[in-house]
Amino acid sequence: MAEYSLIGKGMQRVDAIAKATGQALFSADLALPRMLFGKVLRSPHTHAKIVHIDTSRASKLPGVKAVVTGRDSSDEKWGVFRYTQDQRFLPVDKVRFIGEEVAAVAAVDEDTALEALDLIRVEYEELPSVFTVEDALKPDAPILHEGYRGNINIHVKIDVGDVEKGFKESYIVREDTFIAPEESYFQAEPYAVVAQFDNGGCLEIWMPNGGPHLKSKPLANVFGIPLNKVRVRKITIGGAFGGRSEISPADVICALLARKSGKPVKIVYTREENTIATRQAHSMKAIIKTGVDREGRVQARDITCYMDGGAYSSTGPIATSVPFLCMEQAYRMENVRYNGYRVFTNKPIRGMYRCHGRAFACGVDLQLDMLGEELHIDPVIMRLRNARQPGDYTPTKSYVGSCGMVETIERSAEAAGWKEKFGKLPPYHGIGVGCNSVQTGFPMGIRGGSEAFVKFNEDGGITVISGVVDNGQGNETMLVQIAAEELGLSSDDVQLVSADTEVTPSDPGSYSMVSTFVGGNAVRLAAQDAKKKLFVIAAKALEAKPEDLIAKDRKIMVKGEPERSLPLTKVVRMGLSRGQSISGEGAYWPRVDSRREWVENPTGQLSEAFSFGTTIVEVKVDPDTGQVTVLETWAAQDVGRALNPKIIESQFEGGLAMGGQGGMLTEYHVFDRGRVLNPTQLDYKLPLACDMPKIHNIIVETIDPNGPYGAKEAAMSIAMSAAQAYAAAVCNAIGVYINDFPITPDKILEALKRKKA
Amino acid sequence: MRAERKKPSNRTQKGKRPGKLTSKQASRQDPKHVAQRAAKKISRPATKGAQEHRTKKAAASAAQKHSAKKARGRTLALPTTIEKKRVRLRVNKEEYELFIYPHRTLAEVLRDELHLTGTKQSCNEGACGTCTVLLEGAPIRSCLLLAADAEGKEITTIEGLAESGKLHPIQAAFVEYYAIQCGFCTPGMILTAKALLDKNPHPTEEEIRSAIAGNVCRCTGYTKIVEAIKAASEAQR
Repeated sequence: MAEYSLIGKGMQRVDAIAKATGQALFSADLALPRMLFGKVLRSPHTHAKIVHIDTSRASKLPGVKAVVTGRDSSDEKWGVFRYTQDQRFLPVDKVRFIGEEVAAVAAVDEDTALEALDLIRVEYEELPSVFTVEDALKPDAPILHEGYRGNINIHVKIDVGDVEKGFKESYIVREDTFIAPEESYFQAEPYAVVAQFDNGGCLEIWMPNGGPHLKSKPLANVFGIPLNKVRVRKITIGGAFGGRSEISPADVICALLARKSGKPVKIVYTREENTIATRQAHSMKAIIKTGVDREGRVQARDITCYMDGGAYSSTGPIATSVPFLCMEQAYRMENVRYNGYRVFTNKPIRGMYRCHGRAFACGVDLQLDMLGEELHIDPVIMRLRNARQPGDYTPTKSYVGSCGMVETIERSAEAAGWKEKFGKLPPYHGIGVGCNSVQTGFPMGIRGGSEAFVKFNEDGGITVISGVVDNGQGNETMLVQIAAEELGLSSDDVQLVSADTEVTPSDPGSYSMVSTFVGGNAVRLAAQDAKKKLFVIAAKALEAKPEDLIAKDRKIMVKGEPERSLPLTKVVRMGLSRGQSISGEGAYWPRVDSRREWVENPTGQLSEAFSFGTTIVEVKVDPDTGQVTVLETWAAQDVGRALNPKIIESQFEGGLAMGGQGGMLTEYHVFDRGRVLNPTQLDYKLPLACDMPKIHNIIVETIDPNGPYGAKEAAMSIAMSAAQAYAAAVCNAIGVYINDFPITPDKILEALKRKKA
Repeated sequence: MRAERKKPSNRTQKGKRPGKLTSKQASRQDPKHVAQRAAKKISRPATKGAQEHRTKKAAASAAQKHSAKKARGRTLALPTTIEKKRVRLRVNKEEYELFIYPHRTLAEVLRDELHLTGTKQSCNEGACGTCTVLLEGAPIRSCLLLAADAEGKEITTIEGLAESGKLHPIQAAFVEYYAIQCGFCTPGMILTAKALLDKNPHPTEEEIRSAIAGNVCRCTGYTKIVEAIKAASEAQR
């Protein structure tokens, strides 16, 4: 195995000092000369025609510099795919949920902007609304979008093998329904945008994003300007978790206000706006029917899933597919059918969330426990018998190269002492296991690949240019680490220019779990390209062959003969003084099946690599109060190669908090006729430091043949298996299965009562 | 040093005429009624984005706003305005003399007037701990404290922790122990940790977790944050 100087070792995060000292600037921290403050007027109705908007009084209020409505916007509608373009950033005809943007104001200060909002008169004509999937599907239900019969936004249909035959051949078959309401991202940083236009008509804009290039394209469309005039700038981002991948109406509104007022404008969302008017996760009902043989091997599975999509398509086709795809990757299943329906309702818009459907993921896993119980088979054995193996194809025809699923199950079970604990714990103590598999990217069309540049300076230091964005997960550190490793530099020798559409080339963004794989590979190739050029120069001087050289410790040396070396700086200067190019460029395009489409053709290579993992959780339940105390947890993930183990551990820990502790015990939204009753931080219960259990991290490496140094997805995954493990552990502790998530104390007490009766 | 707010556009005297109050109008000016209306506003389920922001300020500025609105509507003209107030703040051992509206919170003033943007704002209702600063060494939520009420007290923000370019041991530990991901909660978290270690230099893990229970972190699961605080505590031994 190659000996690396930085890869696989701890390297301090490149952004840590700026963040620890308060120097790191987030979007809301920006202040530009003459900057105005923007505020958005939102719909108070769940479904209504906009009859008339009168902004005259607001415009006259001293201090107000611009007021915009749908009439100031272009007709451009947003949707991730051509066939899902259904949302105008400022609607002209009707509003479809409480909180939808209707108009906006830019004024000299926030108070004035707020006051101006009060002066805008909007005449609505209320329309009948639907708030649940069941109601939305009824034949006489009000229709949210023309052309969508039954309010079905997306229907993903997958049918592989012979499901009926599989059920017939099964020893036992069971069908269960699992449900879960919406949860929220609750990124630490509320959404904020700053925008300005320069004299040349270029838009300059800062906002939290899951990929600057994903933002620039819709902005270019709306404003009818070419992409090179849209400058989405690099800025520190306070979390994304899948929720900041798309354009937000706030981006467009802020830019519209800036254009109209001729001044820079800043919009900062309140926490409540961040919950209602950015994205939420889908609520879900999953009906899962599974047949197994006597040994517990799955023979057939039929899943129907209804997802409440809210008022617009958003990332609908992806969000409707990914829950299923994660499960078809994690477990072997030959005969499987999936019908996923995403349904429009008059509620806020839903997007892709780290956990991708608690009801789905936990349903599939918890049902394995139920089936195992009937067969007297231990849950860990059930998983080992159904685990995905390397060399397999998934039902939708993705080849699985590296796969450490079995190892993650075995190692976590051993670390947790599963054998000694399962079925042998004291009353109201329980242990549960869950598994996951996550894609390392998926087909992304024209933005599927990443390109990077490495520029040498005369002092031997480099600047790396890459479109990869860092939402907090550590992508910047990853890029610096890779470039430094390839060129024998230290991280201090590397400066990064990233996530700025004016200077950084195209990149798929961070939300498909692909930054390390695609962006990291591109930087690695760029660094290798530069290295190759330096080696040609150095080879002559060292009287060696270029292929015999290595770069290490800021030197270029002959492999195995460290005394035959040249300082890197010298080689760089030799190149510069001879007019030879010493910059590197690299591009990486993942090997995925570009014909694969979420709805039309859900078959073919989905992702170049998949990660696999297992989480085990041990809990104690108080039968009198229904309170769950989580005692200890074990998180194992096959990440290909851990480029920076501590950063990966912190992803496991954060995932466990989000998917397990929060996702399974406390987090959910409550609605009353389309109104979110708990949009604020006081009412939505996030895990706190005092809630969190001890977490044992188990990093499993399978060295993926195509990932940079063997790395693949590592950050989203644990949230999913943690959700399952939490659910399983609580059910194991109380001896009853709960199919309604999150498992709050009232549900536990209810289940215990049912058990007694 | 001081920073003055831009022209208070909605509080100009323009358009106001002296006039007599009707009894109804007078009662509207009554602080009690104003407070009631403010309370009503709070109880109304929020639909407009800035409701939260608005309700917080409502109590402080409703009377004045009301009169300003009426002035524009030409139904009432009562020349009442909220006046800016001179406030002296001592932040990170430096004195600032400010001329600010009395309803402005410490978080707003630190960020907007003093440009100390290391203090972050997230929930604005005292639930997330992101805006934590130290007041006389104790952690407080600067979104809940009026800037004027911090007068004469020693305020420490994240910018005041590193001395002559050297990271405070807690900051250094957060960096070294990978306790930072997106970094938005980090300033508040570090200041809360400082207050803890100043009072209790060698806390148990439980004491650490309890001390930072009011600071929400969405990224880390807290493990590495607790480790960092422990390490900073050990380093003090």
